[in-house]
Amino acid sequence: MIRFLFKGLIRDRSRSFFPILTVTAGVMLTVVFHAWLGGVLSDIVRTSATFTTGHVKVMSRSYAEEQAQVPNDLALLGVGQLMSDLEEAFPDMIWTSRITFGGLLDIPDSTGETRSQGPVMGMGISLLDASKGDVDRMGIREAVTAGSIPAHPGEILISDELAGKLKVEPGEQATFIGSTMYGSITFYNFVIAGTVHFGIMAMDRGAIIADIEDVRTALNMEDGAGEILGYFKSGVYDDKAARAVVNRFQDIYGSAGGDFDPVMATLREQEGLEQYLAMAENMSGVLVTMFIVAMSLVLWNAGLIGGLRRYGEIGVRLAIGESKSHVYRTMMLESLLIGLIGSCIGIGIGLAISFYLQTHGINFGAFTRGSSMMISNYIYARVLPETYYIGLIPGLFSTLLGAGLAGIGIYKRQTAQLFKELEV
Amino acid sequence: MKWIPCIVLLLAGGGLFAQQPTADYILQKIDDNQNADSRIISSRMIIHGRRGSRTIESKSWIEGDEKSFTEYLAPAREKGTKMLKLGDDLWTYSPSTDRIIRISGHMLRQSVMGSDLSYEDMMEDHSLVEMYKATIIGSERIDDRDCWIIELTAKNEEVAYYARKIWVDRERYNILREDRFGKSGRLLKTTTVSDVRMQDGRWVAGRIVFKDVLKNGEGTEFLVDSVEFNRDIPAYLFSKAALKK
Amino acid sequence: MIALKLAYRNLKGAGLRTWLNVIVLSFAYVIIIFNQGFLDGWSRQAREDMIDWEIGGGVYWNAAYDPYDIFTIQDGHGLPPSALQGLIEDNLAEPVLVAQAAIYPEGRVQSILLNGIDPGQTILKLPTAPLAADIDEIPVLIGTRMAKRTGLQEGDFVTVRWRDVNDTFDATEAKVVKIMKTNDANVDIGQLWVPMNRLQTMMSARGEATTIILSPEITDPPAAVGWEFKDYNFLLKEVRALIKTKSIGGSTMFILLLFLAGLAIFDSQMLAVFKRRKEIGTLIALGMTRTRVVRIFTVEGAMHGILAALVAAVYGIPLLGMLAKSGWAMPEVADTMGIVIAEKIFPLFSIGLIAGTTAVVMITVTIVSYIPARKIAQLNPTEAIKGKIS
Repeated sequence: MIRFLFKGLIRDRSRSFFPILTVTAGVMLTVVFHAWLGGVLSDIVRTSATFTTGHVKVMSRSYAEEQAQVPNDLALLGVGQLMSDLEEAFPDMIWTSRITFGGLLDIPDSTGETRSQGPVMGMGISLLDASKGDVDRMGIREAVTAGSIPAHPGEILISDELAGKLKVEPGEQATFIGSTMYGSITFYNFVIAGTVHFGIMAMDRGAIIADIEDVRTALNMEDGAGEILGYFKSGVYDDKAARAVVNRFQDIYGSAGGDFDPVMATLREQEGLEQYLAMAENMSGVLVTMFIVAMSLVLWNAGLIGGLRRYGEIGVRLAIGESKSHVYRTMMLESLLIGLIGSCIGIGIGLAISFYLQTHGINFGAFTRGSSMMISNYIYARVLPETYYIGLIPGLFSTLLGAGLAGIGIYKRQTAQLFKELEV
Repeated sequence: MKWIPCIVLLLAGGGLFAQQPTADYILQKIDDNQNADSRIISSRMIIHGRRGSRTIESKSWIEGDEKSFTEYLAPAREKGTKMLKLGDDLWTYSPSTDRIIRISGHMLRQSVMGSDLSYEDMMEDHSLVEMYKATIIGSERIDDRDCWIIELTAKNEEVAYYARKIWVDRERYNILREDRFGKSGRLLKTTTVSDVRMQDGRWVAGRIVFKDVLKNGEGTEFLVDSVEFNRDIPAYLFSKAALKK
Repeated sequence: MIALKLAYRNLKGAGLRTWLNVIVLSFAYVIIIFNQGFLDGWSRQAREDMIDWEIGGGVYWNAAYDPYDIFTIQDGHGLPPSALQGLIEDNLAEPVLVAQAAIYPEGRVQSILLNGIDPGQTILKLPTAPLAADIDEIPVLIGTRMAKRTGLQEGDFVTVRWRDVNDTFDATEAKVVKIMKTNDANVDIGQLWVPMNRLQTMMSARGEATTIILSPEITDPPAAVGWEFKDYNFLLKEVRALIKTKSIGGSTMFILLLFLAGLAIFDSQMLAVFKRRKEIGTLIALGMTRTRVVRIFTVEGAMHGILAALVAAVYGIPLLGMLAKSGWAMPEVADTMGIVIAEKIFPLFSIGLIAGTTAVVMITVTIVSYIPARKIAQLNPTEAIKGKIS
């Protein structure tokens, strides 16, 4: 019988194409909404993960205690070994190291004398190693206002405001002056590859981004890092998984230990994110429920309409002797087929869009003044485990419910009356 | 570098007076002993950090009060870094960047090579007599040497430390200990001298320990390996061109 | 009037389907209002917090001072300009002296800024009164974030080292007399508040200030030579930009919702026109103009919006009211970026917001009701009476 119904559906476009289209659209919207909402609510979390906390973060015990001071003299050493251990123990995470530092940037004139000079704060990230994903994660590409992203060692990005202050342009040389992790004065020549706009005044005033390897050399931090950040490959923070990572890390490295031993913390444990995450989860629950109910109502409505439109046909079928329950059953089966096909297509398209939005986000820079800006210009979706099946609720159940309710009319009405509706 | 003679000679004056002179006389005596035309000093600085200690070797050529040239010799990373001080200006050169950069303003407050000394501490070149009013407030025995304790109070506002207390060897006129205080009377930094020995006809401090007393840690040790007095130093050494050589 | 009455009766007649549409639409209402109210609340709170704790009615910066360039602090101070003397005497402007210093909690150095302020000041909410304490140590006020970072508690002592304007070092003990809780991390992280006259003495900078904070009561700040006035446009720029981005992210969400609700109404309108073609035909045959019939159907659809507003009010008012009271917890992370975010954000549901949302919803609903109803205009009455739609 299913084959018969299926054929019927295929042959009558008004019975198949449009209802399926409606269901598909509805399910797709639900899936995208779910992922999008997850992203909007976890936007702050994402920003913090990207710039400061990672999904998990490894620091030396004493660095962690004085983190606010960015004490590079207390940084982790033996990072190469630590990183490869981490990569081996947690293959489904991306590990990237960072060094935050301060100093002066000095621009030479043609004779090599100081032309201009200014204080800077720097971030050493994996600029050149694309496998670490730092450039994409931080949205650096889009924040570049002049020049380009460093492609070679020794190249840096500086904030556009700083570039203006120092009167320097991409392609020119700049010498960084700072202190090594041991306190010695250090000089390092960089070439300014480009300028960026961060969107945060403190950073726009004087921030530079350099490749971590250059920073290591400059600060005498060979094989060192202030912090190692770990990210799930999905790009999405999963608290349970992060907890598990920390527990395993503690099993391997022990939880006690000396001042310079590595310690790990989850994103949730850092910077008071805990309360916010809990609240966001609740809120997301409420909103998603509302949306699903709404979507269900729409599809139910559509199912209802679909059923009502066919009262004429039903009248004929009843008139030629089909039993009411049989008509009802076939209608339910039909809508189940429609719901199933629509849901599958809808979930497929919805997930594809969600994943795209999760990785690429949408740049709302065009709507805000100062157009390109690194921080908070992007909004990303976030595909959660529930995103995979949430679309079935409106897609399948609501369609069925709609058809079911519409079908009740079959029992209520007289055959003659249904037949009359056929009268043309 | 002026600071090295300051420390070395300030702490290692020589003299024959054994009777009680005036405080100003003692200061004058200490200052006088710095008046060598030139000095060449080889030294090591041991910096104690939370992660262990580092030793930095350097050699300095100094002429009068105003001119000094220092070259760092070790460790490898610091080798070839040079500093030139002419009056109130300080330049530094690093071979890795091949740049000469003037250290000024805020940078002068930074510590030298991670030590408990700042560039400013190094730059201080006014004599104690000029800057401070001195009073002998007692005597004490330090390391088996009889010392006068002299209290120094700033004559004008523009000094880094409002008050100091120095322990001066009664016989050799070298300072064996120094405490530096803020206006409020709070002890800020201490200097302790040991291993005083005769070099090139003068009493020279062999080991000096600087300590920022507000901070935890063992402070910075300064070891003088050799000092030569009144040698001829070629004039070109005190030019920016010499930094790049 | 007839149109309205008819519309209402028809709508009621449609029963379940109407209520489904109305409920969906009401969700859109509530969510839009919540989202926008949340952002408005955030924006207002951030603004108020900054005004209360940090910027008052705007701030005069000494011309040589730039808070983003730490090197300018050394020279960026001076005697308050004569133009502001009167205001300062009347407590309508508050001079603040800023100085770099280091503290040594447990022997580790931390760079901080000393902020000298009159303990009797009333312009900022900073609880400065305890700074008037007559003690040998410097009385110090710090925020909770700073207390956490330094491990200091009320009554604790800490060594402070600074250099006065002549670059002379000094150090002394300070006593934490008060720990304050503020949403504005800018007056908390890395900041120590001390009595103005003590700091001026410490710095040998008698009578001088780095910034002068104006009372919000003063609406026309006088020009002052050697000082630059920074107004709200400048001082609140960052937080405004941030909230604007958030607001765009949120609006995509309710555009989706509104779209959904629109779809539902569009659907039912299509059905209504289809089902009631006989009725339409009769009405036209009886002499009603087509436009009038179209209007009846459009009003009928649009009425969903009114009903939705009522339904939304039934559950939305208690729900949003509760949220407005209990607030929404925010993380501390943003603190470090210098953007003010309250620990809890209390959504602000203004009349303007509710009216605006209603207008948007009503217009949307009217449009989606009109499009299917337009078909009526093309109906041939005789065909329609028979139940045919051409």
